[in-house]
Amino acid sequence: MTIDLEPHSEMHGGTPGHHEPPEKVDARQRLGVWLFIGADVVTLGALLFTYLYLRGVNTDHHWMSMVGYKGSLHTYAYWWNAAENGTLKNAPATVYVPLISTGLQWLLAALTVVSAGLLWLGEKGLRTTKNAKAFSSMALLATLVTLGGIVVAAILLKDIPQIFVTVNDSNTMSYTTYDSAMMAIIGSTIGHLVILAFLGLGLAIRSARGVINGDKWHQVRLVRFFWVWVAISAVVSTLITTTITSVH
Amino acid sequence: MVTTLEHTATSAEPKGGGLARHQNFATAIIAGGILAWVFWFVARRLFFADSDNVSDEVAVMTATGWMIGFWIGIGAFNGPFRWLVGRDHTREDDLYYAGHNLGRARYWKYTTDHKVVGVQYIITTMGLLAVGGILAMAIRTELIVPGNHFVNQQVYNGFIAIHGMVMILALIVAVSGPWGNFVMPIMIGARDMAFPRLNALSLWTLVSAAVLLVTVLAVGGLPVGWVVMGTIADQAGVGMDFFAMAIVVFTVSTTVASINLITTVITMRTKGMTLDRLPIFVWGTLVTAVLALYAFPFFFVAELNQILDRTVSTSFYVAAGGGTSWLQANLFWLMGHPEVYVILIPAIAALFEISSVMARKPVFSYRTAVGSMVALSGLSALVWAHHMFTSGWAPALGGPFMVTTELISIPTGIFFLVLVGTLWRGNVWMKLPTVWMFGFIFNFIIGGVTGIYLSDVPLDEQLHGTMFVTAHFHYIFVGSVLFGAISALAFWFPKVTGRYLNEWLGRISFWLVFIGVQITFGAMFLSGLKGMPRRVASYDLAFEHTNFISTMGAYIIMAGMLVLLGAIIHSWRKGEPSGPNPWQANSLEWQVPTPVPLENFETEPVVTEDPYNYGEELVNS
Amino acid sequence: MFSGEKNLKSFFWAWAIITAVGVFLSVFLTHRYMPQMMSNDGNLATETTILFSILAAPVAAGVYASALHVMRTYRYRGEGVPPAATPIRENTKTLVTWLTASAVLTVFVLVWGLGALAAENSSSGNPLIVNVTGQQWVWTFSYPGSHVTSDELYLPENREVEFRITSVDVTHGFWVANFGVQVDANPGVITTIHTKPNRLGAFVVRCEQFCGLNHAFMESVGHVVSPKQFSNWLTSQPQRA
Repeated sequence: MTIDLEPHSEMHGGTPGHHEPPEKVDARQRLGVWLFIGADVVTLGALLFTYLYLRGVNTDHHWMSMVGYKGSLHTYAYWWNAAENGTLKNAPATVYVPLISTGLQWLLAALTVVSAGLLWLGEKGLRTTKNAKAFSSMALLATLVTLGGIVVAAILLKDIPQIFVTVNDSNTMSYTTYDSAMMAIIGSTIGHLVILAFLGLGLAIRSARGVINGDKWHQVRLVRFFWVWVAISAVVSTLITTTITSVH
Repeated sequence: MVTTLEHTATSAEPKGGGLARHQNFATAIIAGGILAWVFWFVARRLFFADSDNVSDEVAVMTATGWMIGFWIGIGAFNGPFRWLVGRDHTREDDLYYAGHNLGRARYWKYTTDHKVVGVQYIITTMGLLAVGGILAMAIRTELIVPGNHFVNQQVYNGFIAIHGMVMILALIVAVSGPWGNFVMPIMIGARDMAFPRLNALSLWTLVSAAVLLVTVLAVGGLPVGWVVMGTIADQAGVGMDFFAMAIVVFTVSTTVASINLITTVITMRTKGMTLDRLPIFVWGTLVTAVLALYAFPFFFVAELNQILDRTVSTSFYVAAGGGTSWLQANLFWLMGHPEVYVILIPAIAALFEISSVMARKPVFSYRTAVGSMVALSGLSALVWAHHMFTSGWAPALGGPFMVTTELISIPTGIFFLVLVGTLWRGNVWMKLPTVWMFGFIFNFIIGGVTGIYLSDVPLDEQLHGTMFVTAHFHYIFVGSVLFGAISALAFWFPKVTGRYLNEWLGRISFWLVFIGVQITFGAMFLSGLKGMPRRVASYDLAFEHTNFISTMGAYIIMAGMLVLLGAIIHSWRKGEPSGPNPWQANSLEWQVPTPVPLENFETEPVVTEDPYNYGEELVNS
Repeated sequence: MFSGEKNLKSFFWAWAIITAVGVFLSVFLTHRYMPQMMSNDGNLATETTILFSILAAPVAAGVYASALHVMRTYRYRGEGVPPAATPIRENTKTLVTWLTASAVLTVFVLVWGLGALAAENSSSGNPLIVNVTGQQWVWTFSYPGSHVTSDELYLPENREVEFRITSVDVTHGFWVANFGVQVDANPGVITTIHTKPNRLGAFVVRCEQFCGLNHAFMESVGHVVSPKQFSNWLTSQPQRA
């Protein structure tokens, strides 16, 4: 291999001693974010595969029904005592679970989309008006909206009905496969919203401190890519979980 | 002119670093232990678990505590926290994190220098191989005679999954970890990886997951088999919780590492390093990283579902609640088969590189070789259900999956053509890397051919679940991948240490391991043909002789690996000095001094042709 | 690639000898180690093993002979770093030959496999139905229509049998090595396989999916008997509802 040593050539590499042109660093980080989103797409795919697969097989009609006693987490001790004392009055019956509130699911997706929109607007403003303080407020607002999303998601999780089952001598509060898959999907949304809240808060603080400003806005765009993807994934999963639901 | 750090640094006392000055592996272990205890204590209060009967919730919380504590202790959160509050690293901080002037201490820290990370991966791989190897010896010792004599049946059942998973982790990182990090950036003329801090993150998340995985042995093992099939895993104790948590973290580690490797190859190549001049090992790591990025999210979701099943009583894999272990099997093998090629391709690619240097000839059919690696990784995403031929899931898909699976033999066949074609008419230099390479060629054909038996659905209905399968994939993993990894170690060892890996100890080790592999897994094929199931603690008298032979062979392998360990330790400390380019190779990593300075190159290299032009001047003149 | 090659004769001799040894071993070892087959599917498994081994022998021998040839002919015997060799970057002829050969072999193996799969899936009608239930760590066999439940498996010779398999706890693997058929016993699901016993004798039903503590000992005895003996056995069994 022939190697020309050019003593005056510009160094490159993402390494400590060398401050590279920001465009170069930005291009690299953009690719990194896209790849991360790629892995996240597969993760979402696996979650939706889980949802659709369990619905497809619908073993013993357990997609949205289960044999047991209708209850909630708070009634666990009640059922457990009844089971222990042998005072469970009725035989376990098939419990049909309702659809998880479509409205709340769409509200969650909408909040994610709104927060992404806010950040995008903020970024546009930052790049045109160079007003870092205005961007900081916008990022903070987007963060607050994601926190609202987390609250909505928590309510969704809380409302998932639990069923008290006594199988093979084990007494437990269980879930139908529909509710199981929904828990995983909503849980994943919460995980993403927590990351967004962290990123949004970081952007707000950094722009308030002037680390991000009208000239150094590249990080904002990186975060926005991911933020928009999370919004898209929320819409996609909500679309599937609200339209493809019960088995007929 | 821009000078390198080695020249500008005048004071030996590093500045910068902040909190990281007080963080290392020891503080990570301590913080991890403390936080694990705190989480355990709180969780026990929260979930009413008594001390004898630790519940799954408590185990998952404890594992979470360990992870978070370990990451705090090693310094993984320093960067994100400083980003959050807008106090980014200064140049001094970055220098400190790169391990500048830290001496040996940098190997025990959250160091960003890719060469340090590479060495850390070597040590991690060796540690994992040691644990997996000891378990293998325990397993083979139990199987030396029929009946349950040496390892208690319950303990034995707990060993098999951990042996499997620890070895899988070891082999996933065995080539792409050390060499994808140590030499790959130098090969493309880069000063470091694209994201040096993510590089440290992927290494230390791997370590934290590996420690947790090994801890499973201390909490009753994992009596479920390494595929952790949904229904049986449901019965397992807290070991299963630790296992699932370790896998979740491990998938994060591989995802981060893959993003880093891909970005490095795409964006960090030096001037003139066009894609058709890339050393073929770089292609191998690139293809592998893309495949890993696709595959491991499935494992993440598979284990996350399992954790939910165990802690909050969801019904993903629980038949009583409408779940099905076929879901687990699908998610697991959607990861599991690509993962085989995540393990295999780096070893193959490294051998292509080595064969060219050792034969003093260009890689034969470079483009076809790259194409085969790409084709193989593409196909590997479409064959997962061949692991489920006998599961009862979708019998109608047996035919289509048989087709995709058997198509794999075409790109695999190309690998032999490339290796043998490169050596053919060369001036083959019979050094230690070459010797292990010939061992690879010998074993890989056996492992490859027996795979075709298993891809045939009717025959798989005889051989699936038997020792035949175990022998087949051990010929691939031990006979091929491990041989390739050791060849790569022997080849690049001089670049890391400045010394040769001892030739004679290395050859003694080769013959022991090579003969041991033939005896152990050759006899294991016969056990399987005869009808011995996998994962058994005891067996019928009919399988007596072949099992005894397998166990003897396993001891020979162990002896060989111990000799190799001795060779590594001896050579690292006082091996024969090698100089910067002992093999007179052309690729960039051999053109920089040994030990390689921080940031690798004093001036940016400009590449004008590929590294395989041995002797082409002769032809032109 | 072979033109002007040194030691070409010994290369082909090595190839021929290794092929011969491989073919001998594949036939000998298969006969020596594969169990005595007692069904059409079992015979097919033995045939396929022998066929694939015979096909694999010349391929593996080709690789081994090449490796030996390289070691003998192209090994550098001088001191120090070997000089550069004549570069060969591509050789279209070799590549095409190689690809064609491996494609032909693959297609042959595929056609064989798909044909065998189709034959295996075809049913002759009116099979004897046996319900198989796996549970930790025993197999139970019941014969619908006769109320017989047994922990030993009796099958009549020369009649197709359909196993309907399920599990009451974890996943087990129903496998008779002498029949060449296996399928998992999954809780909550019934899986089926067919086979046709064609040889009298005893066999062992094993579990081939790890199923917990006593997985290694989850075995049942089975017998293929004449149809007359089978109906005698069936009527002699205590009738359980």
